[in-house]
Amino acid sequence: MLSILPQLLVNSLITGSIYALASAGLALTYGLLRILNFAHGHIMMVGAYTFLFFYVQLEFGFLAAVLSSGVSMIALGAITLAIFIVPFMRASPLLPFITTIAFGTMLESIISMCFGVNVRSFPSSVGSESAEWFGVYITPLQNFIIASALIVLGCLGFIIHQTSLGRKLRAIAENRAAAESLGISANVLIYGICILATLLGAYAGVLVGYETNIQPTMGSSYSIKAFAAMVLGGLGNIWGTIAGAYILGLIENLSIGLDFWGYSLPAGYKDAFAFIVILAVLLLRPHGLFGRQSRVA
Amino acid sequence: MTSLLEILTSEYGVHLAILVSLYLILSQSLNLTFGLGQLFNLAHVASYAVGAYATALLATDYGASFGVCVLASVTLSALFAVLLGLIALRLSTDYFAIGTLAFSSVISALLINWKSVTHGVLGVPGIPRPELFGIDFYQNSNFVALIGIVALVTQVIFYGIYRSPFGRSLRALAEFERAAASLGKNTRRTRNLAFCVSSAFAGLAGSFFSYYLNYIDPSSFALGEMVFILTIVIVGRPGSFWGVIASTIFLVLLPEPLRFLDISSAYLGPMRQLLHAVILFAVVWYKRDSLFPQRRTV
Amino acid sequence: MLDIADIFVSFRETKVLNGISCSIGSGETVGVIGPNGSGKTTFFNCISGFAPCESGTIKLRGERIDHLAPYQRAQRGLGRVFQNFGIFREMTLLENIQLALESRAGTTVGFLPWSKRTRAIKEEALTFLNQVGLERKAHDKAGSLSGGQMRLLEIIRTLAIGADLFLLDEPTAGVSPRMKEDIARSIKNLQALGKTVLIIEHDITFIQKFCDRIVVLEEGRVVLDDSPERVRNDERLQEIYFGRDEQPARS
Repeated sequence: MLSILPQLLVNSLITGSIYALASAGLALTYGLLRILNFAHGHIMMVGAYTFLFFYVQLEFGFLAAVLSSGVSMIALGAITLAIFIVPFMRASPLLPFITTIAFGTMLESIISMCFGVNVRSFPSSVGSESAEWFGVYITPLQNFIIASALIVLGCLGFIIHQTSLGRKLRAIAENRAAAESLGISANVLIYGICILATLLGAYAGVLVGYETNIQPTMGSSYSIKAFAAMVLGGLGNIWGTIAGAYILGLIENLSIGLDFWGYSLPAGYKDAFAFIVILAVLLLRPHGLFGRQSRVA
Repeated sequence: MTSLLEILTSEYGVHLAILVSLYLILSQSLNLTFGLGQLFNLAHVASYAVGAYATALLATDYGASFGVCVLASVTLSALFAVLLGLIALRLSTDYFAIGTLAFSSVISALLINWKSVTHGVLGVPGIPRPELFGIDFYQNSNFVALIGIVALVTQVIFYGIYRSPFGRSLRALAEFERAAASLGKNTRRTRNLAFCVSSAFAGLAGSFFSYYLNYIDPSSFALGEMVFILTIVIVGRPGSFWGVIASTIFLVLLPEPLRFLDISSAYLGPMRQLLHAVILFAVVWYKRDSLFPQRRTV
Repeated sequence: MLDIADIFVSFRETKVLNGISCSIGSGETVGVIGPNGSGKTTFFNCISGFAPCESGTIKLRGERIDHLAPYQRAQRGLGRVFQNFGIFREMTLLENIQLALESRAGTTVGFLPWSKRTRAIKEEALTFLNQVGLERKAHDKAGSLSGGQMRLLEIIRTLAIGADLFLLDEPTAGVSPRMKEDIARSIKNLQALGKTVLIIEHDITFIQKFCDRIVVLEEGRVVLDDSPERVRNDERLQEIYFGRDEQPARS
């Protein structure tokens, strides 16, 4: 049993990296605006399909496809915020949750109509043949996923904690009125962060497409996974959320990979198991594992 | 006019009447927690699934009678609500929504994966229609009378609940928890009870859903279904008894004309979903200042 | 300095400000008093842009600011000190001041921690903390401060954004009696620097020491606008606070 443990840990790291990229944007948005964006997973799905559209269907070059998807996602991020979130924030924090549920459903049905409901995947050109390192099998693509997540999250951490921009973000997250009374333009930064969150989500979506496959219904399950990571780490606590994402990856892989007293769980149970752990966390610590109060970092 | 009458009495009309009755039970029961109690309960569809599967499995694998199945569905769904309430009712708004969502996801993962009990994605086929007092409900024209009466009784019960002291304290809690508590309302018990009642009726709807379709599978209880019920309650104005009845009838019947258009079935599902989502968004947009009363805290 | 003409603000159906006009000269210190619900805080919110006014004009140094967003007004030298503490508790004291200085310097992106400019700003932030004797706590979270220290930090931070008009909303609320002296000293310091100050305060004896004028609000209107002594002895003040038909409760 222990012989497969290293492989399971590496697999957890891969899953965790994707979840971390997917949930970091959500945590940033929650930290700044105190709203739950249910469409985040759907945006991730749209990101993957947009890339599929430009790269596979229109046969753009790789760089051109990345750029045009990026531009489309920036537009989508701005639209999400301007139409589905900002007009509703003042009335009640619940309303943006409802409107983003509606938005997510719209995205899912539109993508289903355009691309069909069936599973799609990207052509695996590079990085599919796995190399063995000390009994652990890992593909170059998986190495890339892990490394790029670390780099992206590292940059994010540096920006938030060390730069002037990060100080402003933390200030807005904690007390928007006070930040504005210091002459900080909250709106510009909020749009910037929501667009960044959209791009991070889309990037995670494309990685999912290369690593496994994509389908229109993946959106809500990734939204729920990202929420789960947020709950584990405490809402709005970005480092807690990222830790939560890796823990979620670990739980999922260990639950199906290890056998408990001679009995092992079928692969399909990993979702159920992950959510049960979250419910258990909520039962014991209603504000998450690392949660005290909501904040951005 | 004759054509309308023909539609109403035709097999298709009866089918629509059954659907409307089913959703009346389902949406009015969500209205109790989501509307009156302002509890963002996203596990309603899970209660519905528990009820549906209880009836489906008891009726097929154990050959249980109608009474036993309905009772089991209602009881199990109510117990499910107790379990849910144990965790969710301790949580504050945002965590509450996510917690109920996670609960709902656990149920759908179990439905798909616990194959030895739920038959997995293949679903449960061959659920026999009930027989009661010597009447055979195999005919839809008979079944519509049964579910119609049940739906009507349910509405009367909820009408009573909304106007009872219990309904009032639930409403007061939603608006101003601390003030309601200082009036001597037991906030935990009130909400737990609301959860149980709401879930029990969702279980009842689930039971009839199984009987009507003769076949159920996990896809009927996916998140999309939850979004649809939520849309009904929001369009009808949360907390409004008549509003929810009207919007149930409106929204269940609305996508029906799409059937008569020449659209391939691959587009039909997503199109219905899109239609509902657009309506949900439009209603929230126009009523954004009045949809939820301002929550107050001390 | 600040010219306010006929401003109206309502929240939902209720009118909160009913046509307030007043003008404040440069370097003046003006107290704003009035019973609860008379619209004092809304008056400040309206000036600083958090409560948009329906009609009327607000001019800062002759320039109309009533259509500007709060952050734009702040950039024009309008500093606000909040009643329920506007400091960032999750940040260190130093970061609180750094934010203000960076905002004044107009820097946004590309401000790396090891750049010369950042270090210069850090140094400057320390001198600001020095002025109120908080330099030893520079790297503590601001949330660990006492109420009075938080207020001092917020006043000094507002000074750091380069404000020349200060709106202080109940600067002594939540402050221990001993710290009130320190608050009073830092308000006097603002006066010495030639800043214009508006203070909302319940405690009329606290503000009459340094106010040139006192404005009394009731039901969203200015009912009195005079020197502290005259306001204090005015019958109408007694009426507002203690009712019309009763004898004044204190003489």
